[in-house]
Amino acid sequence: MKARGHFQREDAITERNETLVVTAEAGSQSAATSGADAPVAALEEVAFAYAGSDHRALDGVTLELRRGETIGLMGASGAGKSTLAKCLNRIVPAFEDGDFRGRVTIGGRAIDGSQVCELAPRVGMVFQDFEAQLFSTNVAHEVAFAMEQAGMARAEIAARIGPALEAVGLKGFDDRDPTSLSGGEKQRLAIASVLAMRPDLIVLDEPTTDLDPEGRAEVFALIRRLRAEGRTLLVIEHEAEELRGCDRIVILRDGAVIAEGEPASVMGRLELLETSGVHPPDLNRLLGMLEIREHAESIDHAEAIIRAHFPDLPRVERSESEAVEIIAEVRASVRPETAAAPEPIAQLERVSFAYPFGPRVLDTADLTIAPGEFVAVIGQNGSGKTTLAKHLVGLLQPETGRVLIAGRDRAGLAPAATAREVGYVFQNPDHQIFAGTVEEEIAFGPRNLGLGADEIAQRVEEVLAAVNLGAMRGRDPFLLSKGERQRLAVASVLALRPRLLILDEPTTGLDYREQRKMMALVRALNRDGIAIMIITHTPWLVAEFARRAVLMRRGRVVFDGAVRELFARDDLLAGSSFRAPEATALGRRFGFVALSPEELAERIRGFA
Amino acid sequence: MPIYLYIDHRSAIHRLHPTVKVFALFVMFWSVYWVDHPLALLPLGILMVALAQTTGAWPNFYRLRWLFILLIFFTTLAWMVFYRRGPALINLPIIHLSRASLVFGFGRGLKLAELLATSVLFLSTTKVEEFTAGLQRMGVPYRVGFAITLAFRLAPLFIDSALTVVQAQSLRGYDFNRGGPIARARRYVPVVIPVFMGALRKANNMAMALEARGFGISAAPTSYIDFPMRARDRMAFAIVAGIGVLYFGIYYFGYGAIAVN
Amino acid sequence: MHELRLMWRNTRMVVLCAISAALYAAVLVPFKVVPLIPGVTELRPANAIPIVCSFLFGPAAAWGSAIGNMIGDFFGGVGPGDIFGFVANLMYGYIPYKAWRIIADGQSPVMRTPGTIAKYVMVCLAASVLCADLVGWGDNLLAFRPFSILGNIIIFNNMISALVLSPLILYGVYPRVRAGRMLYTDVMPELRERPRAIRLAGLAMLLGGELGAWAVGNLVSTGYWIPAFLPAGFAISPYDKAIAVTVSPLILVALAGAWLM
Repeated sequence: MKARGHFQREDAITERNETLVVTAEAGSQSAATSGADAPVAALEEVAFAYAGSDHRALDGVTLELRRGETIGLMGASGAGKSTLAKCLNRIVPAFEDGDFRGRVTIGGRAIDGSQVCELAPRVGMVFQDFEAQLFSTNVAHEVAFAMEQAGMARAEIAARIGPALEAVGLKGFDDRDPTSLSGGEKQRLAIASVLAMRPDLIVLDEPTTDLDPEGRAEVFALIRRLRAEGRTLLVIEHEAEELRGCDRIVILRDGAVIAEGEPASVMGRLELLETSGVHPPDLNRLLGMLEIREHAESIDHAEAIIRAHFPDLPRVERSESEAVEIIAEVRASVRPETAAAPEPIAQLERVSFAYPFGPRVLDTADLTIAPGEFVAVIGQNGSGKTTLAKHLVGLLQPETGRVLIAGRDRAGLAPAATAREVGYVFQNPDHQIFAGTVEEEIAFGPRNLGLGADEIAQRVEEVLAAVNLGAMRGRDPFLLSKGERQRLAVASVLALRPRLLILDEPTTGLDYREQRKMMALVRALNRDGIAIMIITHTPWLVAEFARRAVLMRRGRVVFDGAVRELFARDDLLAGSSFRAPEATALGRRFGFVALSPEELAERIRGFA
Repeated sequence: MPIYLYIDHRSAIHRLHPTVKVFALFVMFWSVYWVDHPLALLPLGILMVALAQTTGAWPNFYRLRWLFILLIFFTTLAWMVFYRRGPALINLPIIHLSRASLVFGFGRGLKLAELLATSVLFLSTTKVEEFTAGLQRMGVPYRVGFAITLAFRLAPLFIDSALTVVQAQSLRGYDFNRGGPIARARRYVPVVIPVFMGALRKANNMAMALEARGFGISAAPTSYIDFPMRARDRMAFAIVAGIGVLYFGIYYFGYGAIAVN
Repeated sequence: MHELRLMWRNTRMVVLCAISAALYAAVLVPFKVVPLIPGVTELRPANAIPIVCSFLFGPAAAWGSAIGNMIGDFFGGVGPGDIFGFVANLMYGYIPYKAWRIIADGQSPVMRTPGTIAKYVMVCLAASVLCADLVGWGDNLLAFRPFSILGNIIIFNNMISALVLSPLILYGVYPRVRAGRMLYTDVMPELRERPRAIRLAGLAMLLGGELGAWAVGNLVSTGYWIPAFLPAGFAISPYDKAIAVTVSPLILVALAGAWLM
């Protein structure tokens, strides 16, 4: 926590529900005070088209990054965010060929004759794919890597490793193998290796897109700390919520800057954000629905704004008794939704499991899934979610307890034996796609089941229509976008016509628009009668789509009930890394359990 | 699944200078080369056992136990076919079972097993970065050493992804165990292709990230890992050299060979 | 052969080398399916990988093959033949793309005309035989095992993978890699070749040398034929000295041929 100049930064790293909070004046003043210096980096009328493509990935971008400033860059996939970032260290066009126009300067000097590697000491870059940017078999050596390349003396390198690791919270990890780190730790290691070079500018290109919420929280806490230290940062991100604390937000669409300004001025422009493929912060959406033209920086701030407009809203202290009341109310209201169903599709009965020489990953877990249900399984990494799912499909066998599929004991059956009952879509679609065309990929499963050609053809048609990939049927699956590949993976499992579809984090790595598409598909499947079990870390997705939630902790099912009830139970949420969506958390302060900004707005309007 | 053999035990052997370890590896190759008789090879075998005990490498030996047993067995058998010397003890087709062929073959098997044991010990006590640093000190260019390290880092990643693909495909009803050996080998195509393409998706990102971290600024980057040669390293060096000389001596003075009659 | 040196300057090629190596090792390790002669060799579907990579990544695959085999050995234990194994696998990844450029320049290896199939088989055979020669020769030179064991098993082994598995993988991967502009000809446009006549002569030397080495190695190591000019002391099992004198020159011719290609 550090004060720069005369304005204080509320850097509330310890608080739970935090996002970086900066007063509006602070943002503008910091820009003004450093305006006199030469910008750390600048793009002037930069345009670029990748080799072999007529499409301009960047189309006349002009942008300045001033010293000590943090810029948040947003936009849909393909809007040109990464291309812009790569111009700053000459990856574009020195490494990626293409037609480049315009001028890029670093510290006031043009970089057009430079090689990418020569800029490494000045521009540090952290990429989305954390596996693709770690090269060593040892953490300390990873941090040393760039310094070795720059030819630094051993003593100097050794002196910088410790502080760099400490800065990212990896002190004492020196001898670890990077393979053994979590995603968030890997990404922080990548940042440490950049920090050690002491660059003028750090570019973070979607550093948290592939991370779980814990990893995201770790990395954003670190970004806030770096900002507080006065470093110059460019952060690319598609969740607007996370960028509220930046000095400036830049929005790209089709390779051009379509909006630029302080968060307060940009975040409220809901339509602009939505049409740019950015998920606007829920709080801003809520205020928009209530027709309040203000920008909320935090839940506290939003509460104050709303209370000013709706003074009759109840005040709820988070006391135990009231929580119980809410729960009772919620239970009464949701009973019909989870009413007892006919014969379950899948059942786990007191299942325990441990990997050889490992700790227990499942501990007497019980779970029943009935036809047509929509269940979200949540919990920290390592809480046993995936292990639980793998038991349902027979990839793992319980040590004790049993697994029933359609009433039959699963023991001794091959995974493929219940493919018609339970389908499983792995997290990474690239782990199953191999065929030459979309159609062949879908036909692979039915063919393995030994179905006739007519039957296969019919299923392919059906499934192509369901996932909306009909136009792509003849295309090579590898050339599809990530979102399309994910839908293809779903399709290829759907073709087996399972009655229960398990999806393991199906929205990881997708931008907001693609996440919405994916979930719309899942909801449609559920309406057609397929039971859904989704393993996810994304709160709004649980709130908006699932009806039942299963919360896991250390291999145990600690909660199994209505989603609404889960979000009313602060005691449960506090102990998991899962936190309620902001609108839900805000609603609790007024005594509601609202699952979406729409619902909350509806309730608040009742107090007008 | 533990894939590399390295065992974090920090014994005196672990802490030896990598160059000394690489030298010891070569001296073992050298020493077993000069002698044929199992009795002459025995002391080295005992040395291996003692080292396995000190370095805590037994789990690795246990893991590879069948390899050791079969290596000795099949090498002995192979030489009973090719080493047709000495009077046959029993008349058999193809196999020439004589005292000489038995001793010779067993000696070869023991030799190979001891070399295998040496390398298991080496790998149990040497980290990848020490290994590549050692190679670089022996004149292997920086970028070659780097590619080796990177391959070591990527291999477990690809193995993980291959195992996941096997699971994913088997859930789509794919049966990997159908057919004879060749058909079964072919059935791995739906595994190899996703792993391959996944790796290629990484390739460009990785090259980009490398250059962004300054790969290429200097042809001979500095090395952060420092290995000072200490007194005990020199002592170990001398002992290892002594073993090499001793074994050459055994050969030179006519011991260690197999008498044929 | 200069590209084997030149490629190290290209960051993408360095990465592709590590990726080829890691892929080779990653398929080598979990899918060591059927041990043919335990401790000697197994039916390795992984042997399909260097051939595939060779067509895709050229020189990067050659080094990748050598390094990948080394890593694979690290999982299963390093043997003394591994120095020869390194060179043998380097050649196993080097010959296919190189020979292909001479006899089928510009053609896609996944075309299914009788002509391209024949050329494909020939190229794989040329690579497999040299690989087998080098390992068998080295093993017999050190008198560990007769040439005729590994010298034949490896050919069999590699050809099975090359014929059964590699074409299927290539079929799935090659067009995509080409579309992604990641073929070595795209990644390394600086690649230059010698005049065609010299490369053809190199190919002829390679084939003559390796086939000769294979024939002589088999005959000598089994004792069927010992050249008359050898001293009597050489004509004795394990024939290590006889192999040194007769096979080594042919191996040198083959390697010189590979260099000229």
